[in-house]
Amino acid sequence: MHIPDGYLAPVVYGASYALAIPLWAIAFKKLKNSLDEETLPLIASLSALSFIVMMFNIPVPGGTSGHALGVALIAMIFSPWIGFLSISLVLFIQALIFGDGGLTSFAANSLGMGFFGAFSAYFVYQKTKHLKYAPFLAGWVSAVASSIFIAVILGIEPSLGVDGSGKPLYFPFGLDVTIPAIVGSHILFFGIVEGIFTQLTFKFLLKIEPEALKAV
Amino acid sequence: MKKIYLFVLAVIALVPLGLISENPAWGEWENEYYEKALGFIPKAMQNSIFEAPIPDYATSSLGDVGSYYFSAFLGVLIIFGVFFILKKVVKVER
Repeated sequence: MHIPDGYLAPVVYGASYALAIPLWAIAFKKLKNSLDEETLPLIASLSALSFIVMMFNIPVPGGTSGHALGVALIAMIFSPWIGFLSISLVLFIQALIFGDGGLTSFAANSLGMGFFGAFSAYFVYQKTKHLKYAPFLAGWVSAVASSIFIAVILGIEPSLGVDGSGKPLYFPFGLDVTIPAIVGSHILFFGIVEGIFTQLTFKFLLKIEPEALKAV
Repeated sequence: MKKIYLFVLAVIALVPLGLISENPAWGEWENEYYEKALGFIPKAMQNSIFEAPIPDYATSSLGDVGSYYFSAFLGVLIIFGVFFILKKVVKVER
């Protein structure tokens, strides 16, 4: 789901920065209020974990691959704002140093995987936390919600610009292709992976960091 | 050492498993894919505006597994560095 540079029309990446910047400002305030000796090890570790799990590429039928995001955990344990900001930091490092994603598309990727991923996980977890498998559900929904945003933003590109001979200037496949390919694969595969990762890690963290998680 | 740090290290130790798949993520293809599938490469996608220093988590000197470990540690160090600096700044402000 890491959209590279060149895939998005300037109007799309411009709009995504315009939307993301005020949201980052709010998230930054929230993070500053919660960052202290107690919370730092866990927030930094979960962000690091997100960076690492995104390196575990899992092949699926059809010749592509994908990975978990790790955003649901941060959203559930701290807040969706901190989840959004932490994933944005991870995405920025991936784009800047490892060429994974892009700089023009950084805001769009952050809104998709960060904002939508974190807030959907948070709300699902709040509604279902009495259930044994609430972390799984939150993880699955967060991956699917992220994939919907990314699929829509990519799928509208063909309608946003063509060159002199009628060929698309930006990402060439429309919603009829992006929705089944991206959202479908997250419903069937990567959402499940995110759900299992979220469930197992959450239960494990309850054991090793019970103090930090007691309010969750 | 805090248990959570050991957990992060344990997950890093497994990171070469991420190299098992040669398949790219959907939509994150090389330009040759578009050339083959469409007969052309969309104009905006032809030139990259920016070259990352360690593209695709691969360095020329460390091999596949070595590069992947190096990238994992580098990314994690930067993330911890950012949060530690931020905490210091917050402390001064308070």
